[in-house]
Amino acid sequence: MGIEEKVPEGILTTSLDSVVNWGRANSTWPLLFGLACCAMEMIATGTARHDIARYGSELFRASPRQADLMIVSGRVSNKMAPVIKRIYDQMLAPKWVIAMGICASAGGPFNNYAIIQGVDKIIPVDVYVPGCPPRPESLLYAMDMLRAKQRRETIGAGRKVEEPLAVDEIMPLGV
Amino acid sequence: MPLDVAPVIRSYETQRTLNPPGIPALAPPPEGETEDIRRIAGRFGEDIPAAGLHHGNQVVYAQPGQLKALATFLRDDPQLQYETLIDVTSVDRSELPLDGEARFQTIYQFRSYSRNQHLTVVTDCRSGTEGNGTSPHVDSLTSVYRGAEWPEREVFDLMGIRFDGHPDPRRILMPKNWPNHPLQKQAPLGGEEVPFTFTWDDPEFDTLGTQILAAESVAPDLPPGMSRQNMVINMGPHHPSTHGVLRLVVELDGERVVSIDPDLGFLHSGFEKTGENKRYKDFVYYTDRMDYLSSMSNNLGYCLTVEQMLGLEIPERAQVIRVIMAEMQRIASHLFWLATHVLDVSGTGMSLLMYATRERERILDLFEMACGARLTVSYIRIGGVWQDLPDAFVAELKDFLRLMPQKISEYEAMVTEAPLWQERLKGVGHVSAEDALAMGLTGPMLRGSGVDWDLRRDRPYSGYEEYTFEVPTRDSGDCYGRFTLRLEEMRQSVRILEQAVDNLPSGLYRSNNRKVALPPRAELDVSMEALIHHFKLMTEGFHVEPGFFYHGIESSKGELGFFIYSDGSAKPYRLHVHGPSFNNLYAIDHISRGEMLSDVVTNIGSIDIVLGEVDR
Ligand code: SF4
Repeated sequence: MGIEEKVPEGILTTSLDSVVNWGRANSTWPLLFGLACCAMEMIATGTARHDIARYGSELFRASPRQADLMIVSGRVSNKMAPVIKRIYDQMLAPKWVIAMGICASAGGPFNNYAIIQGVDKIIPVDVYVPGCPPRPESLLYAMDMLRAKQRRETIGAGRKVEEPLAVDEIMPLGV
Repeated sequence: MPLDVAPVIRSYETQRTLNPPGIPALAPPPEGETEDIRRIAGRFGEDIPAAGLHHGNQVVYAQPGQLKALATFLRDDPQLQYETLIDVTSVDRSELPLDGEARFQTIYQFRSYSRNQHLTVVTDCRSGTEGNGTSPHVDSLTSVYRGAEWPEREVFDLMGIRFDGHPDPRRILMPKNWPNHPLQKQAPLGGEEVPFTFTWDDPEFDTLGTQILAAESVAPDLPPGMSRQNMVINMGPHHPSTHGVLRLVVELDGERVVSIDPDLGFLHSGFEKTGENKRYKDFVYYTDRMDYLSSMSNNLGYCLTVEQMLGLEIPERAQVIRVIMAEMQRIASHLFWLATHVLDVSGTGMSLLMYATRERERILDLFEMACGARLTVSYIRIGGVWQDLPDAFVAELKDFLRLMPQKISEYEAMVTEAPLWQERLKGVGHVSAEDALAMGLTGPMLRGSGVDWDLRRDRPYSGYEEYTFEVPTRDSGDCYGRFTLRLEEMRQSVRILEQAVDNLPSGLYRSNNRKVALPPRAELDVSMEALIHHFKLMTEGFHVEPGFFYHGIESSKGELGFFIYSDGSAKPYRLHVHGPSFNNLYAIDHISRGEMLSDVVTNIGSIDIVLGEVDR
């Protein structure tokens, strides 16, 4: 992850970790990028009732260079796959991916010639959200999970903890 | 990297052993006569092998050599006046008992708005010998009806039928290096085996992930007709104002648009092929996911088509519930259109997005009350609706209806009179009535150009003839006209809803024809017969008489049509969806020429597309 990898381990970085992670977890900007039906629920999550702004994520960025989070909201067709791969590559690290809905997670009802059976075949996924489409609440819970994941990360090299999240780690908003 | 589509043919998807003998069967010849058919037969005589009524639709079979002459006659004859070609589709009959007949047929739906007539023309394709194997071909109708261009490209792409004389015979949905034409019957459904094991050595995992196309970007060719003298820019498929994954190749002279070549198919999901592998009742769930902003209308359009093929009577209460749902869906869809349109045009109009989605959420709440889902509802089923409305629904809906007209006025107050808004919309995206008819536009795109046509009023279904409402039209033909038109449509929907909710009859919410519609859950506990019906419907489904049928409804975006070719079995032999967004989007090139690049954004919003329906 760029310059952070040059930082030596030590007390300084440990406290720096928590500050940086706090910042990242509270201002994850998603990419303005909708694919199919799930995108409608993603937009609903962004509007007043569900209010994703509580997570500091209301700023959907159209440019991949300004976004931290890609919400793959819908089915990925064979024609779209190279595009998604490229957009993901254009995002700057650190970056995260939420596979929203069963289509993005595993192909869903479309097990046919046109649709790729899960976006994880082309890009790494951090959180899978079940549902067809997932309710906005589910997406918000996915954001909670992502934040728990973000809080564990460290800015130094090679210290990423890869254990499953414990339930009490996924703190609801405001904790 | 070679393309590997993992051609898995899954036996459980395709087995037809449950069918009685005599299935599959070809569509029977049409019977009877009408005035139009007499007139056509009088002109063409022997060149019309068969003509008549089939499922109540006028059907004419034409020799391939006479197709173009017939289409010209249909359009120009003063007694016929079929102004529009609504839809072009095709069927590959290779799995039917053919007896030496042509394997491929193309099917055309003509519409006369002035005379309120609908005509289906079926023609055999000539089999050619070009390329490897035989590649069927038929005359293109683009010189007669301009709007045939995209549907014919779609038929070529998915079915492999070439159209002689087509100006732009490229693929339209699939990637250009795709190895087959997916709707041909020998092409497998594809997909991947679902692994039922967790042992990675298991052969089930061998094909996993092989479906992916080489994920590399190649510099696309310049679309035909574009010149490198001008600047050619690429808009999408990842672009904030293309309403999804639409790619537009825009040729610009300075900031003026010279031409646009839309590149579709980034959301092609194989709905039609999937539908041919599902039982009739199981495709309802897929229709939700096509135009995902009007799931209810999609459900309704599909169910009506199947029901009319079955000749099924729908109970009155179910009819009214369906109208309620379809109109609520229209309001919801228009609200979303309004929100995104204003956001696109202004770039900052977030407040209207928030207000309009606030009302939309209330509609989604009502949907949730009725069926538990917000977006992909699958509430309207073959034979009626899934379950009865809960008690609180009517009161809640009435409350919403009290609120809604005032809210629409609020939106209007925000934008309608605003000078900037008018500046951006008036005179932009103009389409004349003749062009709209020639291009086969439907819905607000057609009414916005002054053609007074609404399927709900002119070819009523689901009991729409019992409601009083107006069909607004605008003569201006520009984005501003379509904007005010859609606002007015919302008001009219509220009006229909008020009448429907006041006259909601009691009674059955689903047909009690047990051969088609499931028995109510409570009956299963007490009646053995109900259990048998339930089992039969769930395992085998119901059979539909051999034949074909096209039926269109007025969805929020235009005419949503379903074409089904049945071979007598429990699955559609061929299922085609005529999505209004697809045909309306064809106008983008025409209406944007000579305008500014920023107007393209306005035009996309004004056409109101949903990519799930464009690409299907
Ligand atoms: S998961 Fe369901 S709602 Fe989401 S894109 Fe797929 S089909 Fe649509």
